[in-house]
Amino acid sequence: MPAPIAGRRTRRPRAGWLGWLFAAPAVIMYATFVLRPLSLTVQYSLYDWNGIGPSRWVGLDNYRRLLTDSELFSSILHAFELILFFSLIPVLLGLFVAATIRGIAQSRLATVARTVLFLPQVIPLVAAGIMWSWLLSSTGVVNEVLSAVGLGGLTRAWLGDLGTALPAVGVIGAWVLVGLCTLLLLAGMSKIDPGLYEAARLDGAGPVREFFSITLPSLRQEIGVCVTVTVIAALASFDIVYIATQGGPGNATMVPGLEIYYLAFSEREIGMASALAVALVVLVLACVLPLQRLTRDGSR
Amino acid sequence: MITNRREAWTGRLLLGLLMAVTVVPFVSLFVTALHPKGTYPSGLSWPDDPQWGNFADAFRAASMGELLLSSSLIVLGVVPAALVFGTMAGFAFGHLRVPGHRIGFLVFLLGLTLPFEGIITPLYYQVRDMGLLNSRWAIILPLIGLFMPFSVVWMRAHFVTMPDDLSEAARIDGAGTWQLFWRVHVPLAMPALSSLGILLFLWTWNHFLLAIVLVDDPAKRTMAGALGAFQGQWGTDIPLLCAGALLILVPTLAVFLIFQRRFVAALLQGSIKG
Amino acid sequence: MAHGSIRRPLRAALTVSLFAGLAACSAPGSDTPSEGANASAAPVTAATCGTQPVTLRGYFETGFPLPKNLADEFSRQFPNVKWDIREDQFAVITQNAPRVLADDPPDLMRLPQVSELVKDGVLKNLDGYARAFGWDKWPASQLEQMRVSPTGARGDGPLWAMGLNFSMTGIFYNKKLATQIGMTKPPTSLAELDAVLQKAKDAGLTPINQFNGGATGGLAFPLQNLMSAYGEPGAINDWIFQKPGASIDTPANLQAAQHLERWIKAGYFASDINSQDYATMMSRFIGGKNLFIFDGDWESGNLDKQMAGNVGFFLMPSAQAGGKQAAMSAPLTYGISSKAKNADCAAFFLNWVATNQQARDIAVKVGGSHPMGPSDAYMPPVAENTVTAATLAAGATIGKDNGAMDFIANATGAIYAKSWTPQLQKLVAGQQTPDGLLKSVQKDYESQVKD
Repeated sequence: MPAPIAGRRTRRPRAGWLGWLFAAPAVIMYATFVLRPLSLTVQYSLYDWNGIGPSRWVGLDNYRRLLTDSELFSSILHAFELILFFSLIPVLLGLFVAATIRGIAQSRLATVARTVLFLPQVIPLVAAGIMWSWLLSSTGVVNEVLSAVGLGGLTRAWLGDLGTALPAVGVIGAWVLVGLCTLLLLAGMSKIDPGLYEAARLDGAGPVREFFSITLPSLRQEIGVCVTVTVIAALASFDIVYIATQGGPGNATMVPGLEIYYLAFSEREIGMASALAVALVVLVLACVLPLQRLTRDGSR
Repeated sequence: MITNRREAWTGRLLLGLLMAVTVVPFVSLFVTALHPKGTYPSGLSWPDDPQWGNFADAFRAASMGELLLSSSLIVLGVVPAALVFGTMAGFAFGHLRVPGHRIGFLVFLLGLTLPFEGIITPLYYQVRDMGLLNSRWAIILPLIGLFMPFSVVWMRAHFVTMPDDLSEAARIDGAGTWQLFWRVHVPLAMPALSSLGILLFLWTWNHFLLAIVLVDDPAKRTMAGALGAFQGQWGTDIPLLCAGALLILVPTLAVFLIFQRRFVAALLQGSIKG
Repeated sequence: MAHGSIRRPLRAALTVSLFAGLAACSAPGSDTPSEGANASAAPVTAATCGTQPVTLRGYFETGFPLPKNLADEFSRQFPNVKWDIREDQFAVITQNAPRVLADDPPDLMRLPQVSELVKDGVLKNLDGYARAFGWDKWPASQLEQMRVSPTGARGDGPLWAMGLNFSMTGIFYNKKLATQIGMTKPPTSLAELDAVLQKAKDAGLTPINQFNGGATGGLAFPLQNLMSAYGEPGAINDWIFQKPGASIDTPANLQAAQHLERWIKAGYFASDINSQDYATMMSRFIGGKNLFIFDGDWESGNLDKQMAGNVGFFLMPSAQAGGKQAAMSAPLTYGISSKAKNADCAAFFLNWVATNQQARDIAVKVGGSHPMGPSDAYMPPVAENTVTAATLAAGATIGKDNGAMDFIANATGAIYAKSWTPQLQKLVAGQQTPDGLLKSVQKDYESQVKD
């Protein structure tokens, strides 16, 4: 990542306020289709409105309900649980795999792997949802594999079991994101000076110490990027859940994105949907902004 | 680099395993698509009598030609506009450094984290009041707006690295700001632009939420939105659904395999900047 | 994202967004009540499709060929009428109904429960057409589920929708598997049904497959059947029609929910019902994988084709042999948007469906259900021994026992997705008790009816 605004130069191209004409189209589109709806979301969240008839001012009632209604609140908790699968697993697994294959990063296998591991990033999440609902069904491949290795007792309809549905959705997300994280981290590792490793080996460091004293610290920025991207994906998840479980069974996989959609377009509680939307936006910011500070401090 | 043989082999094994896990869902989708229509095949079984005709049937059932056209039109509506607007704003913030450019840029920067669900509800009513519901414009215009933060941040990152001397030289030759932008800086920005173009293409093509909320007719949606509708309509027939899902994947997969180097590079840079 | 220093511009950015927030401060929604709300029907003298080219916009339910076949036949008889048809699954239609009717009005639309749509004024009052076409002279029970009074209770008042036919639900069984476990005739009491289920279980068969996954709580079918076996269909209808003071949390319904729980615990349902969708249930039943499904006669035509001679139907037996029987029976509801461009033509079509001979043939052969219309109207002949014949005969029994019920999932617009489905899924998983299930549904119901 380049470090912009490193130091202001004294001689700048003089365009003055007229230069805003260049920014105008972007600003107009952004203001019309993002900032305006965003401020309307805040406004709607203070009303009780069914989207058709007249609305009624309710102040902060919708937010109060958000904190007291266990169903609404649990959707937020589910989103945080998904972080485990969308972020933690891909990042840890990615680190492990990248560190292990660092030595063969230039081989032909690794070139092929680069293409293959990217496939989940290229397809629509909807398609990932369809594929995996099928794999995780009671007669799907996952259960077949389990039976084949003698774990037949564990087989179940993974997306239909109250205990496993959310983790199963998490696995789909992990599948989508693990390749991206691995490749990002691998790219970061290729920038580490090989001399560092050679020196460590001469000192008699094993792979484990090598990993903790060289690899991990040098990857601070890449790890920060992985975590940021995946945390946003977890908190704002919609496509996969919409296709794989629709929030069921028994609300076990209800996430804020889907709940907003249901509230706004099926239950027609526009105010409540907007309050949840505001909460979601704030949550994402609250999780992501501190991460930036962390990685920035590390990289300077 | 020092690596011993055992480490290399564990590496290969692990990589192979990871690749297998990545590919199995695609394989499962493929073999399921070959089973007789209306059956409920189990696991990864190769059918006795592969029904290649399922693909043709799914192509017809989903009116795939229409869907391809629709997605292409949406991409054509979104990507060039987003590229031009993003580049111009990136130029203004990154190179011209117009007064207040830091604030302007920061407002865009904060937009990077915005989940689309955060604005979908008012967006519905806004698009309805504009009379655009159920047209492709309902996807195109909001998507351009939603892609602005990333496009502006991306292009600005390119323009801040451009030396000022370049512009000084052009100005001495009597170039106005527009000529400076169009003749000097845009050609130099081509690598950044093409990567951005690839990303925007992918995100538009695969976009789901706006499609299902704002457009009811699958023939006017993006590919991903159409796939959602396809599941709604043909979810009753698993092999046909799988065949349809595969067909819908083909265009992106093909584009990906052709441009894979650029793609991988763009996606990696994209997530670093995003 | 780590660009530049953040703190100082942050304050400025917040100021900017505050201004953006102030830009729009009038309250959302219009204060004028929408025009259609509770409007009385304009008198209609003659509603036809005329002779000019007309394109009727239809919004139908996926997976059921009946409306499309009717539309095709209609265009054959009235070539000036063309169709622009969109399809979705019923759950999606339920979600979209109010928005679509208001914002993108179709001429003819498959409807979920109508009372809230009426309240929102998005449906056309059909009383004028009913008088003009003589629908008000048909047996009153056919139309009562689509009448909503000005107070919001269903069952009487103006007519807001119309059926393409009316359906009957019960239990379908695989004849071959039934013979295999010695079930030679349908059970006549609840105890007999329990015994058959146990026998099937002992023989290593899956007794029941039922869709209950995702957003589809199909266990509501057996639950409501059990409710009517233990209690009175009238009381259940009162609850569904939002009669004041009605409750689902009654002793009889508790017994029914407990009975359902016993079935679950005894393993009478397939173990993966919480991930079964409707299509999975159908393909397994047709594939001979299980003995029973709880379903409706909209599948009769399909089953007669795919399992010819091997499928039977019976109504849920009453608690004691010889008792009265009841069943969910509802019109296949279609309505006209209050903003529809071709309302007259759509109404003409609805009347044609009930009265035209070819249309009634299609209603039975393709739809499998009883057509709407006067009681002495033409009835197409149906081959004996088919499941279509069995379901039509069941209709007569229900008529005699006065046992027709609407569906508990139709009590309010959101009750199915928000309450029945998740609660029934939890019951299957052992995370909800029968008592807790009914109490929780009742609580949601009360808050929804109040609004």
